[in-house]
This record gives sequence, C-alpha cells and structure tokens, in this order.
Amino acid sequence: MALDDRVLEALARVAKAPIPTDREASLFDTGVIDSFDLVDFVADLEKEFQVKVPDNDLHPSKFESLAKIAAYLSSQGAS
Amino acid sequence: MSALAGFGHFLPDGVLTNQTLAAEFNVDPEWIVSVCGIRTRRIVAAEETVCDLAERAALACLHDAAVTADGLGAIIACTGTPHRLFPGVSAEVQKRLHAGGIPAFDLHLASTSGLFGLALADQMCEPWGPTLVVAAETMTRVLAQGPRVKETAILFGDGAGACLVTRGDAPLAIRDIRISSDATFSEALRLGFGSTLEMDGRTIILHAVRKLVRAVAELLERNSLRVNQVGLFLFHQANLRLLERLMRELKIDRSQCFINVDKYGNTSSASWLIAASEARAAGLLRPGMKVVVAAFGAGLSWGTALLEVV
Repeated sequence: MALDDRVLEALARVAKAPIPTDREASLFDTGVIDSFDLVDFVADLEKEFQVKVPDNDLHPSKFESLAKIAAYLSSQGAS
Repeated sequence: MSALAGFGHFLPDGVLTNQTLAAEFNVDPEWIVSVCGIRTRRIVAAEETVCDLAERAALACLHDAAVTADGLGAIIACTGTPHRLFPGVSAEVQKRLHAGGIPAFDLHLASTSGLFGLALADQMCEPWGPTLVVAAETMTRVLAQGPRVKETAILFGDGAGACLVTRGDAPLAIRDIRISSDATFSEALRLGFGSTLEMDGRTIILHAVRKLVRAVAELLERNSLRVNQVGLFLFHQANLRLLERLMRELKIDRSQCFINVDKYGNTSSASWLIAASEARAAGLLRPGMKVVVAAFGAGLSWGTALLEVV
C-alpha cells in the first residue's frame, strides 16, 4: 500500500470530521483532529511506519496536513 | 533524608463559572467541560495580589507543620505571575512572616516552579534549615483582555499552595526527585514583559503527554515500583483531558489520581501543592503510601517526585 494510503488509514482511526481531499489542507482547521487526537495519531504513525518521532521533531506543524505528514515520514525513511 | 512537614493552600473567594464564560464567548457551558473538564475557577479580587495568596498559603503550611516563622531556614517563592520583577514575592512573604535574615528568592518557571522549588528545598534544607516552598499565581491577570482568548480564558485560575521541607522525620519523606528542561519548543508557552499569556496548546499537549508518561515510568522503574503500588498520583492540574490521557497511558486507576482541576482550573505552579494540601487535609495520605508528583510546563520543563508517607 502506498504511503499516502497508509497515512489516510491511520488518520481515519482518529478523524472527527471528513478528511479533506486537498493534501495541503490543515487537519486542525478542518476539525479532523484536535490536540489530543494528535497524540494518538502520532503514536499510531510511529507504530504503522515503524519510525520513532524524536522529541525535537514533535511539533504539530509536521503533522498539519497530509502532504506534510507524507513529507516528514519520507524524511524518516518510511515508504 | 528530606521530608515534607506540612502543606497549606489558599484560594481566593471569587468564582468564575462556565456559565459566565459561555455567555462571554457564545459557547455551550458543556463545551468547556468537554475540552478541559473545568467547571469553575477561582479569581482574585481587584485589591488582592499574588503576595496575599502566597502569604495565606504559607501561614496555613506553617500551621499544618506546627512550625513558627522564626524556625524557617529559607523561603522559595514559585510563580510565573509575580507582582513585579524585584524584589519578588519571596521578599514580601518574608516581610509578612517576620522571617528576616534567611535566604528568600523567587523561582520563575510557571507550572513546574513548585516541583523545581521542592527539588531545591530538598538540597537546601540541610545547610539552611526548614525551607518553605510557596507557589502562588494570579493567572487570570495575565490572560488576554482585548480581545479575550477563549482557549486560555477557560483554563486558568488563581491560587496558592505551600509545603515545608525539613531534614529527618516528617510526615512525607522525599525518596526521589528528577527535574528536566528542554528549550527546543520554549516559545510554545510564554509570557513577555507587559504582555499576556501565549500558548500553542497543540505543542504543549504533545510534549506534556510524551514527557510526563516517560518521566513517571522512569521514576517508577528507578524505584522498583509498579503503578498499582502507588497510592496517590498528584499531577499538575492542567486540564482534565490531559490527566485522563496520562491515566490511560500509564494504566493508573481513577481512584489513584487526585483531581481538583474541575474546581480550580489550572493554577500553574500552585496546582500540585494545592492538590497535596487538600489530599492531606482529607486524610488521603495513609502510612506507608507511596505518592508520585509530576508536573510539566513552560521551558519546556517537567519533573517527578516520589514521596512516602511515614
């Protein structure tokens, strides 16, 4: 499964609102996830992609949109 | 070995309800409960100062410890909302207690000040004598006023808590303390000169959950303890949803966790000391009980302590 699809699957597990089709849209502004959902979502991504998000990278801006999440995971070697 | 000889706290009379805030921000009162679990907070009166709160908590603490002010060796005032830059809250408390001649200083760390103050007092109480740690905050005075920001207006309250740290026998022995800071995301929670509180809640929640879960787990492991061997968890009372998340992640039963954030909101550095003081007054600290304290706040900074009721 492609990286984007796996991110979408993980996001669907915590999403509170329809996931935007625009990959650049903010998941916060569109009400898809809130601060506490983000905690679960990051933990889920770490498990799904077998990566560890170091504390220095733990910032909402890296998980704000589907595009940013994919870019970050790719930078961590996920595929 | 250092120990806690007493606790005290003081909360101002003013009560700010969700109904009042809901009307101000045009939201449902239950929305406020759903996002932070807070129903009321205490607010200072116009004529009250952070020093008034600190003094009342300090006096209550000295009374609980059956110690008079002339028996103090040092005073550490913990606050992120001092009434002025200097002399600080500690100087005013020292003056009001008539405890001249001993070291008195402020610790400006906001929410973790009380725990960092405890760590300092643990080291100071042998050379200097019984050390009063008093944490006081007037958080409602540093919130944005024009326009008000609902995300912070619903969270914070005013109050003060105190403890007295001594050497030797006392009701609550200090077994372990660890404090940490990491400034990578220090801008996520800040209060500038003449400014109002600015908080990036998402970053704070992400780091609070991760760092507190890790720190508590490490504290327990270092002391060969399992979660179910801890009688009481005294967390910084930041937000009920955060406390629930910590309980879930650490597998802490609700009955093990003291919670008063619903009544007082987030009183920053004072929160765990108010919780400890209330827990002691309610007779919840039973002999042999292990107590875990954990706090997180601006800096970012965080810490844990293991106490044991003797």
